[in-house]
Amino acid sequence: MANETFKRLLCLGCGFSYDEALGLPEHGLAPGTRWKDVPDDWVCPDCGTPKHMFEMIVIGYAPGGADLAVTA
Amino acid sequence: MSQFIIRNEERGHDLIKSDGSRSSYIAGHPDGFVTRASSFDFHEYQAGRPGFGPIRVFGDEVFHGAGCGYNMHPHHNFVICAFVFSGELTHINTAGGGMVDRLSAGDYYVFSAGSGGKHSELSVTPEDMHAIYLWLLPEQLYLPPSYHRAHFDFRRRRNEIVQLVGDGDNTLPIPQDLRVSRLIADKGQNFPYALRTLSHGIYVFVREGRINCNGVELGYRDSMGLSDLATVSIDILDDDSDVLLVETILIDETTIKVWESEHAGD
Ligand SMILES: [Zn+2]
Repeated sequence: MANETFKRLLCLGCGFSYDEALGLPEHGLAPGTRWKDVPDDWVCPDCGTPKHMFEMIVIGYAPGGADLAVTA
Repeated sequence: MSQFIIRNEERGHDLIKSDGSRSSYIAGHPDGFVTRASSFDFHEYQAGRPGFGPIRVFGDEVFHGAGCGYNMHPHHNFVICAFVFSGELTHINTAGGGMVDRLSAGDYYVFSAGSGGKHSELSVTPEDMHAIYLWLLPEQLYLPPSYHRAHFDFRRRRNEIVQLVGDGDNTLPIPQDLRVSRLIADKGQNFPYALRTLSHGIYVFVREGRINCNGVELGYRDSMGLSDLATVSIDILDDDSDVLLVETILIDETTIKVWESEHAGD
């Protein structure tokens, strides 16, 4: 389980992304927090879309993009 | 070849009022409202097919009442295109240092939200504003935000498929392997559309008029998606038919494939 690749998920309401590897430290989710461990009542910090309306995506970051995602 | 058909009435039809619980989302006087017909499963608005390739939203929207539209709200990553058909769309966008754009019939934009941008879209004239919105997943996350706009000369460019967005001459750039074209044509004409590769599919939407698309008759606001084929043949059945064609690489389809298998035989 520990070796499972980190997932990325996208809010279908606004495009905000959650990356398991990066977490959202400013929103209380430490780096490495798995999506399944994010509370069910968690909502998109930008638009309020509920957790179940995020979609898993397999899209790479643009150069420098991962650094921007941490503080998004 | 595989295909799906979405008839006008099968789309998600919603009326979002500018007062009550949605007042922070929808701008306007209390009597203003947005009507939205969604081809795909946008947010909570429709229960059908989740998308097509990287496309997640194909929304046919009207802003009713002066001042109606969307209040300032943030986006990341999504690439948002709008094609305006009537009325006027005032678009306030933070991309590229910020700007205010006004779009009227024939105008269109491509806004790539990338690492983050905010925008507000309003109809400030008394006339209703009609636009079609296309949202898609980008090739890469957190790209630099960008905004481009152009005009389609619908009075002169008749009876030809005109590419508006994607790689090509005089088209707006977009960070995805996707092309949007528009065809305004008269009865009796035939238009073949050759897809780039067998890994591409095409979504054909009839805004006005009536066509026959590879043997399927499509009328007002009917649409279909086709894939695993080299060429699509469009016969125009009514004068002044107005058709949008979105050719796209078929990636990011995991969610869609799951939905298709769950709904096989529906
Ligand atoms: Zn969101």
